[in-house]
Amino acid sequence: MTALLDVQAVRKVFGGLVAVNDVTFSVPEKAIVSVIGPNGAGKTTFFNMITGIYKPTAGTISFDGRNMIGLRPDEVVTNGIARTFQNIRLFGAMTTLENVLVGRHTQSKTQFFDALLHTARYKSDERAGLLRAKELLEFVGLLDKRDELAANLPYGEQRRLEIARALATNPKLILLDEPTAGMNPQETEETKHLIRRLRDDTGITVVLIEHDMRVVMTISDTVTVLDYGTKIAEGLPFDVRNNPQVIEAYLGRGAAAGEFGKNAAAPSSTGDAV
Amino acid sequence: MSALQDKRSDSSGFVVIYALVSSIVAAIAIGINLGPLRFIPLDGIIPDILKTLIFLAFVSSLLLANSLKTSARAKMIVFLFVLVVAIPVIGVSNTQYLDILVNICIYSALALGLNVVVGFAGLLDLGYAAFFAVGAYLWAIFGSQQANNFTGGGFPLNGNFMFLMIPIAVVVAASFGALLGLPVLKVKGDYLAIITLGLGEVIRVLANNLNRPINITNGSQGVRIAPGSAPLEGFLEWLSGLTGIELFKLELLMYYVVVLLVVGLAVILTTRLDNSKIGRAWVAIREDEIAAQAMGVPLVRTKLIAFATGASFAGAMGVLYAAKFSFVSPESFNFQASISILAMVVLGGLGSIQGVIVGAAIVIILNQMVLTAFSNFLADLRRGGLPLPSQFEPAQYQQLIYGIILIVMMIVRPKGLIPAKRNAAKLENLERGELAQKVGKQ
Amino acid sequence: MTPELFFGLLPITIVDGISLGLVYAVIALGYTMVYGVLEFINFAHSEIFMVGGVLGVELLIWLQKVTAIKDAGEKVIGYSIHPLGALIIALIFAAAGAGALAVAVERVAYRPLRLRGAPKLVPLISAIGMSLFLIDATRFIESLFGQFNRPFPEFSAQPFFSVPVPFLNVSVPIKDFVVLAVVLLMLGGLIYLINYTRTGRAIRAVAQDQSTSALMGIDVSRIITLVFLIGGALGGVAGVLYALKYGNVNPYIGFIPGLKSFTAAVLGGIGSIPGAMLGGVLLGLIETFAGTYLDPLTGGVIDASYKDIVAFGVLILILIFKPAGLLGKAVSEKV
Repeated sequence: MTALLDVQAVRKVFGGLVAVNDVTFSVPEKAIVSVIGPNGAGKTTFFNMITGIYKPTAGTISFDGRNMIGLRPDEVVTNGIARTFQNIRLFGAMTTLENVLVGRHTQSKTQFFDALLHTARYKSDERAGLLRAKELLEFVGLLDKRDELAANLPYGEQRRLEIARALATNPKLILLDEPTAGMNPQETEETKHLIRRLRDDTGITVVLIEHDMRVVMTISDTVTVLDYGTKIAEGLPFDVRNNPQVIEAYLGRGAAAGEFGKNAAAPSSTGDAV
Repeated sequence: MSALQDKRSDSSGFVVIYALVSSIVAAIAIGINLGPLRFIPLDGIIPDILKTLIFLAFVSSLLLANSLKTSARAKMIVFLFVLVVAIPVIGVSNTQYLDILVNICIYSALALGLNVVVGFAGLLDLGYAAFFAVGAYLWAIFGSQQANNFTGGGFPLNGNFMFLMIPIAVVVAASFGALLGLPVLKVKGDYLAIITLGLGEVIRVLANNLNRPINITNGSQGVRIAPGSAPLEGFLEWLSGLTGIELFKLELLMYYVVVLLVVGLAVILTTRLDNSKIGRAWVAIREDEIAAQAMGVPLVRTKLIAFATGASFAGAMGVLYAAKFSFVSPESFNFQASISILAMVVLGGLGSIQGVIVGAAIVIILNQMVLTAFSNFLADLRRGGLPLPSQFEPAQYQQLIYGIILIVMMIVRPKGLIPAKRNAAKLENLERGELAQKVGKQ
Repeated sequence: MTPELFFGLLPITIVDGISLGLVYAVIALGYTMVYGVLEFINFAHSEIFMVGGVLGVELLIWLQKVTAIKDAGEKVIGYSIHPLGALIIALIFAAAGAGALAVAVERVAYRPLRLRGAPKLVPLISAIGMSLFLIDATRFIESLFGQFNRPFPEFSAQPFFSVPVPFLNVSVPIKDFVVLAVVLLMLGGLIYLINYTRTGRAIRAVAQDQSTSALMGIDVSRIITLVFLIGGALGGVAGVLYALKYGNVNPYIGFIPGLKSFTAAVLGGIGSIPGAMLGGVLLGLIETFAGTYLDPLTGGVIDASYKDIVAFGVLILILIFKPAGLLGKAVSEKV
C-alpha cells in the first residue's frame, strides 16, 4: 500500500509553545482516516501545516510523491489537497452556486483577457464549471438552494456546501475539519454517509478531524490520536478505543470524558461498523 | 434579473412615456434654441432651482428604465433616445448641463475602476487619484509643449493623438499599478489603506517637484494645454461652420460622446470580469482571504490584477480629463480627489456597477449643482439684507459632505443605495445556452 | 558637501529630530492603543490631534487677552501669567477637549458598527469619513472667528519659548526642552497606568480577548471608551506641542503628521507602547536628517520636500520586511 500523504516528524512551535510535536502520519490512497484528540491537541494546526497555511518548524510533508513544504496554500490545492474549516469559512455574500464555482478556480484555464473578450475558452470553461457545480450540489443535496446566499443557509447546509466547494477543486485528498460539529443526529448521519460516498463513489481519500466518536468509530479505517501535539496512538478504531493512554488523555481532562466513554462503549448500537 | 422571478408589473410603457415627456419639459425649461427647433425662451422666468430639478427628473429616466421591470426593447429605446438624442440637443443649448454630464461620465468611469479594487476585491485604496494623475500628466505633457523640455522637440502632439494616448495610458497606469502593488499587496488589509494613502502623497510630491533638474511636470504651477488643440479640431470647425453652432459647444459634445463610449466600455468590461472566474476570485478574497487561498486562489496575483485593472481605468480617464480641462496640476490629484471617488463608490454600493454610476452622478450633481445653487441662494439672501455670515459658503465644504456620506452610509446602509447583487451565475444559463449573451445585466 | 558643514549641521539636526519624533510618538500612542485593543486604525486620530492643537491655541489666545497688563495708554506691558503656566493650562484643556471628542467619535462612528460586527472595511471607511468631517467642521467654526490659521501666542515681545539655551555646544530653544519634559511625563504616566493599575490590567485583558474579559466581569465598552479617552487626550497634548514647536495651527495640520505617526506606530510595532515611542523618535530623526541632508548631498536635485517620501518609504519597507515592527510581536490569524 503506497501512502498518498506522507508526513514525517512534523513540528510546529508558536513562540515557546510546541503545538505539534514531531508527528509522523501517513495516509494510504482511498482511506478514511480520523484524527482525534482533546481540544487544543494540535489537530487543526496539523491540518494548517498540510495545507500550507502554516510552515512547519521542522519535518517533511509529501503528497503523491511531491514535497509540500514551502508551497503556498493555493499551490497545495493545485497539487490535489482540499479542505474545509472548523469555523465554517464560506463566502457569505456569494450564492451557493458561486461558492462552488470559486472552488473551480484552479480547474479553469480562463485568463484575464478571455474573460474580457468572452473567448471560446471562457465559454467552455464557464460551461464546464456550471456543469460540475451542478453535479456537486446534487451530490451534497443543495441543488435547490443554489441561488441563495451562502450566509443565509442553515448551519448543516453550510457545512455540506463547504464540502462541495472543496470537491470543486478536484482533489485527491480532502481534509475535513469537524464536518459534523453543531449538527443534529440526523444531519450527522447524513454527513457520515456523504463522507463514505466520497470515498466509495469518487475515490477521494479523506482525513477528518472529528469529536463525535460515533462518527469516528464507524467510518474510519484508522484513527490517529493527538494529545498536547504528540501522537499518542494510531490504529484500527477498536484498538484505539481500548488504548489506555487514549482513555487517560480523554478521562484526564474531565470535560470530554463522559462523551468519549459513552460513545466508545456503544459503537455497535449504531449498527454500521466498518 | 431573471424574468421568471420578477413579479412586478411591466412598466415599459410608463418608462418610455416618462422619458419622452421629461425630455420635452426639460427642453422647454432649459430653452433649446437650435434653428428650426426653437422653443419659447423661458430664461429668467424659471428659477435656476426649478431648472435643476427638471433636469434631474429628466436624467433619472435612465435610472428608472434600468431599475423598473421593462422589456429589453423599452430599455433600449429610452437609453438611445435620452443619451443620443435628448442630451445632445438640450446640452448644446445649455452647456452648463452638458458639462456636468461629461463630468459625471468621467467620474463614473473612475468610480467603476475603483469599484474593482475596493468593491470587488475589498482592497481599500486611498491613493487612487495617483493613477488618474499618471494618465492626466501623460497627455498634459505630450499634448503641450512641456515634453520639449526633455525631448528633441516636436511637441505638442496633434490633438487627435489623444485617442492613441488613451490606450497608452491604460498600459502605463496598469504597469504603475502592478509595480506599486507588487510590494504593497502582500501587506495586511487595513495597512493597505495607509500605504496607498502614502503612495498617493508620493505621486503628488513627485508631480510637485519633478520640475528640477529637468522640467517634466512644471511643478506646482501645473501644465496648461494651449487652446485649439482638442482632438478632431478640424472636423469640429467644419461642423461648426456648417451648423452655426459655436465651436466650444461642439468640442464639449465631442467629449460627451467619447466619455460616454468609455463609460459604456467600462460597464461591459467590469460586468464581464465580475461574472467570470476573476471576478469571483476577487469577491472570494474580499469575503475571506484564507478560504479563498484554500480554494486555490493565488492572493497576490489576484489582488494585483484588481489593482492594475482599477489603475488602467484611472489612466484612461486621466487623459480625457487633461484634454477636457486643458490644465493639470498636482492639487487636482490630492487626497480629496481620491476620497471623492471613494465616496461615490461607497454611496452607490460597493461592488455594484449600477450603484457606483448613480453614486458618481449624485456626488457630482451635489458638488456642481446643488451646493453651488445653495451658495448662490444664500448669497441672494445676504444681498437681500439677511445677516448671514459669509462663512456659510456650502460650495467650499465638499469634504464635509464626503465625510458625512461615508459615515452615514457605513452606519445606515453599508451596502450602498443600490446594493450589489451576485446572481449572474445561474444554472439556467446552461439550458438556455445564454452563456455568451450574459452581458450588461446587473 | 564639506565635512565641516556636515558635522556642523549634525547636533541641531539630532535635537530637532528627537523633538519632532517625541511629538510623533505621543500621537502614535493614540493609534497604537486603539489598534492594540480593537485592531482598528483610528483614521480620525490625526484630526483629534489637530482639534487638540486648535483648542489649546484658542485657549492661549484668550488667556493672553485676559491676562494682559496694560499701562495708562492701553499699551500691553506684560502678562499676569507666566507663559509656562499658560501652557500647562492649555495642555490640560486640550487633553480634556480632544479626549472628549475622541470618545464622542467612537460613540457616533465606530460603536454602532462594532456592535453589529461589521466587516473590517466598514469602520475604516467610517473613520475616514469622520476625519474629513472634523477637518471641515473645524475650518468652518474657526473661520467664523476670523482666519482659520492661528499663530501660537508667545505672551511677550521676547518670545519665551524660543529663548535659546546652550546645551552641549549647541543652543536649543526652551520649547524643545518643554516638549521633552511633557512627553516623558505622559509616557511615564501611561506606562504606570497600563502596567500597575487595575484599570491598566483591564485594558490589557480586553486587548487580549474581549469576550473572555467580558466573562471575567470587565465592562468592555467602558474600557474601549477609556482607551479612546486616553488616546484622544494624548493626541490633544501632542497638538499643543506641535503648535508650540511650529508656531501655528490650522485645520490641515493633522493629515501629514497623522500619517507619519501611524508610520511611527507601525515602525515600533503596532500595539506596543515603548514601540510607539521608539518608532516616533526614529521617524523624527529619519525625517529631519532627510530634510537637512538630502538637498546638500544631491546638489539640490532632491530637496527637502522629498522628506515625506522618505517617511513613507520607511513605512512600506517596514510593512514588507518586518510587519510586526521593531518591538512588536508577530501574530498569526486564527484559522
